[in-house]
Amino acid sequence: MPVKIPEEMLNILYSNYFGYVCTSDQNNRPHITPVFFIYDYIHQKIFFITNNKSKKVKNIKENPNTCITIDIRDPIDPFNNEGVMAQGKAEIMEYGPIYFLPEETLRLYYDIYLEFKDKYHEIVENKPLGESDVIVQINIEKMVYWKGPHFKSVSVV
Amino acid sequence: MEKKEKEMKWVYEEIVSRIPPFSLLSYKSSILLQLLLLLFIGLFIGYIYHLDSIVLLYGSIGIFVAVLWSLLILQLGPTLRKFRAPLNQKENALLEQYKKILFHKNHYEMIPGIIIFVLLMLYLYVFHQYFSRRSMMESWFGEHPSPILLIFVMILLWDICYRMGLGIWTTTLSMWRSLNLKKMAEKRTELEHTPYTELKHLKKLDINNMFFGIISLLLLPIIQDDYLLVLSILAFVIFITGTSYVSAYIISGIPWLPPDIYDLVIDSKFAYVGTSDSKRITHLTPVVYVFDGQKMYFATSKSAKKIKNLRENNKVAFLVDKRDLKNIYENKAILLIGKVKIYGIHDIFLRGLEMLKARNLFFEKYPQYTRKYSTHKFELPKAWQLTPIIARILIGIEPEEIIYWRGAKQINIPV
Repeated sequence: MPVKIPEEMLNILYSNYFGYVCTSDQNNRPHITPVFFIYDYIHQKIFFITNNKSKKVKNIKENPNTCITIDIRDPIDPFNNEGVMAQGKAEIMEYGPIYFLPEETLRLYYDIYLEFKDKYHEIVENKPLGESDVIVQINIEKMVYWKGPHFKSVSVV
Repeated sequence: MEKKEKEMKWVYEEIVSRIPPFSLLSYKSSILLQLLLLLFIGLFIGYIYHLDSIVLLYGSIGIFVAVLWSLLILQLGPTLRKFRAPLNQKENALLEQYKKILFHKNHYEMIPGIIIFVLLMLYLYVFHQYFSRRSMMESWFGEHPSPILLIFVMILLWDICYRMGLGIWTTTLSMWRSLNLKKMAEKRTELEHTPYTELKHLKKLDINNMFFGIISLLLLPIIQDDYLLVLSILAFVIFITGTSYVSAYIISGIPWLPPDIYDLVIDSKFAYVGTSDSKRITHLTPVVYVFDGQKMYFATSKSAKKIKNLRENNKVAFLVDKRDLKNIYENKAILLIGKVKIYGIHDIFLRGLEMLKARNLFFEKYPQYTRKYSTHKFELPKAWQLTPIIARILIGIEPEEIIYWRGAKQINIPV
């Protein structure tokens, strides 16, 4: 059974398109990039697709500690600012070209790809997975939620 | 072309760099050796010709000033040799021209020095009687000094005049450069700019020149009896220090971000701050921030995790973006990676004005926020209860790397 995740966290995780991923390299230099993501409630994972050669993949190989922040920003009323930060270890399933991957991974890739397509179909029309694309999964360990000045945090493991 | 770049040297630098042992030493030890050598020769000659100890002291001060000047002014060559080209054709052409004139192959840099030397000679030997009764030369070295002594003194005087000339030459040119650079920077488009580091170098050179001016004050005791020379030195100090100050000030007003990014940073309301603690666990939260045209600041409460992380590891990633779901190819983002400066109470003395300026920018940019803070104070948790800026810690970003995304394209912006 998955941990009970508060409703307001789920709202944020399900209703937003942009996530911001923070990684840090072996010299402990942080790096941020905006990504498209999907949240997997059952396994408490967050998936995103990125390029094999990107800085974040390089950083994750050096240091798997990764976090992703998803938020709603209100420039008028700071009490409406709302967000979730999920911290955990990132994992990259396979690096090889897509047609050499084991069936299980391919199935996962396909499922995730379909889910991505479903979530982002208005933005990216039928963009296929590229040769050098990899799926990164963050195994969530801890989540922090905030609304205005109030905080809430959940430990997942 | 490349050969020219390497030959950015003045006459003096060129001569010294060819004579051993100076040619074998690093630039600083070579200057130190020159200082010791000159002092040694000076004191030796002074001892032989039984000069007053006060005259020996004056001579030593003169040598010391000349050597200090060399130290400052000879940094120009190496700094400009390493200079990276601005990403704007006009600014690049201007800086190329500046370097070309500064180190012109006809050695125009000698002209101001020669003029000063000739004027000084005329004054000392021809016109001095109109101003004071006794020539300084006579009072120092007697009525008939030996030719060897005279030659040494002349070399020393020439050295001082030559360097004063160099000071005028470099200061005038940097003022010209700064004024034109500012004009050109106003007409930049898209990604055109001169990188941060290079602007900082130019400013550093101007600050060096300010010290160059101030050091000349050391010459005053030597010529204290001659009010005309005192006035000339004072005028020199004011000219060099004042002009260099203005030039440095102009440089510090030139944006180091290209207009595309500059506008993004000015217009955006929020930024994301990524930190990583000593266990390399990352943390990312949105913040409000301000940009004063030169530096980015955000503020955080004392109990925030960010500040804990930053005290453990001062490296930071700072992202400002424009997100538009309807057209992702219009999305823009800038990522600054670098270090933070955490402002504390002790900074008030030196950086109080800067902190006050940042605070006012917050009030201007987020009037609703600040109002909210003052009216809803007691609904807030303890950490937020005081006014946002005073009780909150001010943090400045010092970028080392800039990455810019426009649509799906990633562009590295030289810092």
